[in-house]
Amino acid sequence: MRLAICLVIVFLCFICSAAKKVKDEDFSEFDDFDQDEFVVETPSTTSATLSSSKTQGSKPDVVETEKVIQADSNKGKQKEKEDDEEEVSVIDEDDDSMFDDEEFEASDSFASATSATPDLKIAEVPANLTGNRWEAYQCEAVMIIALLAYLINFLIGRAKNARLATTVYHAQRDLLDRNFALVGDDGQTRNTETDDQVNQMQKESDHLYILWCSGRVAIESMLIELRLVKRQCAFNSLAAIIKSINDTLVYTIDFNKDDMETFVFCLAKKRSAVKLHRDMVDLSQFCAERKSADKKGFPGNYQVLSEIGEASSHITNDQKLAEFLTKYPDAIEYIHISDQYSGMKIQSDQQTSSNAATNTGTAAQQQDALNTSERSVRRVLIVAFNLTPQDGRSLQITSESLPGDYLRFVLQLIDRVAAFRFGSKELKNKATKNRQRIEEQFLKSVNLQRQEQAQLRREEKRRAEKEKVMQSDDAELQRKWEEKEHKREMKRRQPKMKQMKVKSM
Amino acid sequence: MDNRRQARIHRFRPALITQIDDALPDYMNLMGMIFSMCSLMLKIKWCAWIAIFAALVGFANSRTTDDAKQVLSSFMLSISAVVVTYMQNPAPMTIPFMQ
Repeated sequence: MRLAICLVIVFLCFICSAAKKVKDEDFSEFDDFDQDEFVVETPSTTSATLSSSKTQGSKPDVVETEKVIQADSNKGKQKEKEDDEEEVSVIDEDDDSMFDDEEFEASDSFASATSATPDLKIAEVPANLTGNRWEAYQCEAVMIIALLAYLINFLIGRAKNARLATTVYHAQRDLLDRNFALVGDDGQTRNTETDDQVNQMQKESDHLYILWCSGRVAIESMLIELRLVKRQCAFNSLAAIIKSINDTLVYTIDFNKDDMETFVFCLAKKRSAVKLHRDMVDLSQFCAERKSADKKGFPGNYQVLSEIGEASSHITNDQKLAEFLTKYPDAIEYIHISDQYSGMKIQSDQQTSSNAATNTGTAAQQQDALNTSERSVRRVLIVAFNLTPQDGRSLQITSESLPGDYLRFVLQLIDRVAAFRFGSKELKNKATKNRQRIEEQFLKSVNLQRQEQAQLRREEKRRAEKEKVMQSDDAELQRKWEEKEHKREMKRRQPKMKQMKVKSM
Repeated sequence: MDNRRQARIHRFRPALITQIDDALPDYMNLMGMIFSMCSLMLKIKWCAWIAIFAALVGFANSRTTDDAKQVLSSFMLSISAVVVTYMQNPAPMTIPFMQ
C-alpha cells in the first residue's frame, strides 16, 4: 500500500515536471524578453553567444535590428533577470559603439562569434559527383585498357600459332602422304577412307596441334605434336622470353613387339637429359648414369643415357645423325628410344593406382583389379626438335623448310632402329635379366598394396562386427565377442614357437 | 619403294597424347571465384577486376577438351561481381597503398 502511494507520488511529480517543460517550450516564443537582458556578444561570453545564437538562430535579421534599437535606447542600463535559461548576460557599455553603425552587418557579429567556435568540417564532395564524372574513374580506365590489351594479344597470339601450325603441316604433307596410308585421324569418324581429306593439324588447344599418321612398314603409328609457346597468353609469352622456351616439334612413334629390339637409350641436350633422367620411369630404372657425348664428335652439349652399349653405339655411330647434327647443331632436343616406356614418374603412379583401385564399389572387384594389374609399357621412339628461327630469318619462313628435313631424319631413324638386332645372345640375356628384375620389383609393390588392402578390409570387417554387437543389447553376445577378441589379441602377441614333439620313452 | 601398308593402320586414341601437367587454367578459375566472392562479400572493387583478369587468363590457357561451362561460369561470376560492387558504391576505385 505504502509502496503504491510512493509510486503514485513519484509519477505525479514526473508528470508535473514534464508539463512544465512542455509549457515552457510551447510558450517560449511568447516570452517577453526584457530589453535590458539582451545579449551583447563579446568574445569572453562564449557560452552566452552559443546560446544566443541558438535562440536567435531562426530569425537573425529581426533580432539584430531589435538589438540595435534596444542598445541605442538602453544605454547605461544594466539589469539581470533570472531566467530559466542561463542565457542572459549584462550589457557591456564599452561595446555600444559597435552598434552605433547601422550598417553593421549581422554576419560580422556572427563571424566574430563563430571564430571562437570550433572549426566546422566541410565534407569533401566525391570526385565523381563534381565536374566531369567520367574523369574520376582513372583506375577503372587503366583496368579496362589492360583487359583490352590482353584480349588483343590473345587474338594475335592465337592467329600466329594457327598460322605456324598450317605452315608446318604443309611443309610435311607430301612426305607424309608418300610414307603413310593414313594421315590425320581424330578417332571419331567411322571410316578412315573419306572423301574429305584432312587439310590441317588437329587443334587440341591454342598452343598444341597434333597429327596422327599410321599404316607404314616397321611401325604401328606416328603422332606428330606441335607444342607451341603460349602466345595467346601475355604472361606466358613473357615467361617464355625470360626462360628462353621455344616451339617444339615432337614425333612419337609406336613400334610393334616384333619391330624393335629390347633396349633403352636416350641422347639429349644436357638440360633435358637431367630432367628426363629424373622424371622418366624407364630411364631412371634402366640407365644408371649420364655420359657426355663429346667423344662422338657431336656439336653442342649432348649427353647419352644407355642401357646396352651396343645398341647405343648403333644409334650414335650413324653417319646420317652426325650429318644432321652438323647441319642443325641445336635442332635435336632429345632422342628417346625405349621398349619399357611408361611416361613420367608421377603420371605412371597415378595410372597404377587407378588401375589397382578403381571405384567400382565392392572389395572383390578391387581385388580383381589388383590381380590383373600389369605395367603398361610401350615400345617407342620419341624425337623432339626445337623450332627456332635460323640464319636470321623469321620463324614463319624457317618453318616452311625445316619440318621437311626433320621428318626425313625421323623416317631414317625409324628404319635404323627397326633394323637393329642384338649381335650376341649375352646382350639379349642381359636385357632380359634387367627387365625381369624390374618386373619383380613391380610385382612386390603390387603384392604389398594387396596386403595393405586386405588388412584394411579385415579391420573394417572387425569394426562393423563390433558395432553390430554393441548395438544389439544382448549382454551374453557382447561378452562372447569380447572373449573372442581377447583370445585373438593374445594369439597375435605370442611369438610363434615351433612345436616340439616329445617322444615318450 | 612404297612403305605404306593399309593393313597396319591403327586408329587414333586420345590417351596417346603426351600428358603435360598444366594446372594453370584450374588455378585461374579458382582464383577468379575466390576474388569474386571477396569483392561481393567485402565490397572491394579491385578484387572484382582481378577476378575478371583471372577468368580471362584461365580462358586463354584452357584446352579445347575442357568444359566451356566452367570458363563461362567463371566469367559470369566475375562480371557480376564488378557490376554489383559498383552498384553498391559508385565511387571510383582507390588502390589501398596509393592514397
